[in-house]
Amino acid sequence: MAPLLEIRDLHASVGDTPILKGINLTINAGEIHAIMGPNGSGKSTMSYVLAGREGYEVTGGDILMNGVSMLEMEADERARAGMFLAFQYPVELPGVGGMSFLRAAVNARRIEAGEDEVDQLEFVKLVRAKATHLGINDDMLKRAVNVGFSGGEKKRYEILQMALLEPVLSVLDETDSGLDVDALKIVSDGVNLLRDPQRSMLVITHYQRLLNHIVPDYVHILAGGKIRRSGGKELAFEVEESGYAGIDDAA
Amino acid sequence: MPASTMQPNLDQLAGLTGVRAGALLRWQATGWPDRRAEQWRFTRLSRVEKMDLRPAEMAAKQPAAVAASLPDNAVILSFSNGVLDMAGLAALPGGVTASLLSDNDAALAALAELVPAAHPISNLSLAAMTTGLHLDIAGTVEVPIILVFTGDDNGVSAHPVISVRLAHGASAVMAEWHQSSVGLSAPLMGIVVGDKGRLDYAKVQQESSASAHLAATGLKLGEGSVFEGFQISAGGQLARLETHIVLSGENADCTLSAIYLGRDKQHHDITTNMNHAKGHCLSNQIIRGVLDDSARGVFQGKVHVAPDAQKTDGQQMSRALLLSRKAEADAKPELEIYADDVLCAHGATVGELDDTQLFYLTSRGIDRKTARSMLITAFLDDAIDSITHPALADMLRPVSTAWMNATPNAGDL
Ligand SMILES: Nc1ncnc2c1ncn2[C@@H]1O[C@H](COP(=O)(O)OP(=O)(O)OP(=O)(O)O)[C@@H](O)[C@H]1O
Ligand SMILES: [Mg+2]
Repeated sequence: MAPLLEIRDLHASVGDTPILKGINLTINAGEIHAIMGPNGSGKSTMSYVLAGREGYEVTGGDILMNGVSMLEMEADERARAGMFLAFQYPVELPGVGGMSFLRAAVNARRIEAGEDEVDQLEFVKLVRAKATHLGINDDMLKRAVNVGFSGGEKKRYEILQMALLEPVLSVLDETDSGLDVDALKIVSDGVNLLRDPQRSMLVITHYQRLLNHIVPDYVHILAGGKIRRSGGKELAFEVEESGYAGIDDAA
Repeated sequence: MPASTMQPNLDQLAGLTGVRAGALLRWQATGWPDRRAEQWRFTRLSRVEKMDLRPAEMAAKQPAAVAASLPDNAVILSFSNGVLDMAGLAALPGGVTASLLSDNDAALAALAELVPAAHPISNLSLAAMTTGLHLDIAGTVEVPIILVFTGDDNGVSAHPVISVRLAHGASAVMAEWHQSSVGLSAPLMGIVVGDKGRLDYAKVQQESSASAHLAATGLKLGEGSVFEGFQISAGGQLARLETHIVLSGENADCTLSAIYLGRDKQHHDITTNMNHAKGHCLSNQIIRGVLDDSARGVFQGKVHVAPDAQKTDGQQMSRALLLSRKAEADAKPELEIYADDVLCAHGATVGELDDTQLFYLTSRGIDRKTARSMLITAFLDDAIDSITHPALADMLRPVSTAWMNATPNAGDL
């Protein structure tokens, strides 16, 4: 069976600047992989390339989900195929009501799957239930998407979306940054609830701490647009101890 | 240009008297707006000048039905080719008295005072008036009065002239709905809201794609009165909605917001002239424009504060959203302030949809077209949310929704 995600020798540029310089990564169903790496090493760029953001041009290699190349798919098609990106910097949408946004997202997936659109009342109940678990109150749900949310609240809201969309592959870009200790626990619990033999996750973080909560199967170090080292979760401790000094990114 | 070849052909107007005769003389002296006139710098009328037109003399044989979200309980006055169907007057609610301006030169003169005497199209419409209707309103009239303008003859120009006068303390809800296919639709409106009166007002311009719409509205607000107005310009090939407002008594409160929605080669012009003649008045204008294809949008907004109009609060904000590289928006906000103790602000921006916002939405599985319309709706809601009268809001919202849904190729930006 094809792996859930296979990244083959991926090269990508932003504008004319090459950022990703040959990434190879295979994630099997059910696995959690963590990516660490210095600032500017290309972690967010990789997450955008996976999600299909315009302007992030793949100049070589391939991205396959369940054996099918995603390169020709637009961002919305990838999302409906089960890809989810929790943004490092979630985007404010003034004037776009949170509830109608969440409903549009969930309905887009349901329509793709040939299911009926969600019942409005049941949806509100469902959102409330999941939101309560994540410490998101009704007032936040009523506001425009991310408008007036604190940094930590935005991160929780990303996980709420993830919980509602039940993605096959979740890419979490520094979801732990900006979270207080309690929120980190709440958000991690939310993520762990979605752990499932059929789903996989790619967790980008700077801190080993997160990986105590969301325990990864593999840890990779990205530097200079390439994965320089891979290992088990002990690699995260090594990074925490000695930084990235020992990682060779000259290549 | 000699009067004989100038359009519309006004030969049928021989023998005018009174106010209309004066207006005809002024029109014949000036003709279409001078190309050098600053007020017409962004809106050239050459497309209209070339139309072969004569003022309409009769209603369409089969007045068109308007498929619109008009309030259920509304009283509708139907104009076809600019000619009023008198039968509608019978249904006017209590408190509203109708008469004809053709029989009342004094009311016509009062109306003419509400717009600048040098305004060419007002003069044309006064002279070529297809119907002149005067409504006197007293007391509280809750039933919305909707003026519906249809028309089927693209060889005619329609010049409905309507004056509305709210007595002291009177209140009413009114709307204009323009959806005709006449060559030129040039309504002239004059509205006076008496002291402590209130008028909730909406205007929808949805003319056919070959029509030109050149509207002039004069508005005078008395002491402590409230005017809450909203305009949508979405139809026509060329449209100018020009409003002259005088806040003539203290503590008057005027909201006049507008949105324009353009596609193809449409040209929309929203021009306002907000005149704070007395102090302690409030004026607020929220303007939003969305332009696709090669459409062009213009907002000219002048706020004038007279020397003794202290404690004036005059706000104006215009924002345009371009959906295509060929679309163009111009804004000319002007503040002319002669009093020293005022709070006035204006601003104008032109922008595009935000890539990051679009990516955020599409990354959640929402298709691009839906994502764009969610962002455009949010942009317009800023203005539409300012309408507080529920029936008028319900009438206006579907207009922008329909426009959005009709976008075949939602721009290249
Ligand atoms: N739009 C852009 N144009 C040019 N260069 C860009 C652009 N976006 C990102 N870069 C560059 O690409 C490199 C990788 O950026 P990226 O955001 O992927 O890093 P990161 O690993 O996520 O860093 P951090 O840990 O700080 O979040 C950086 O050098 C950045 O300056
Ligand atoms: Mg990053």
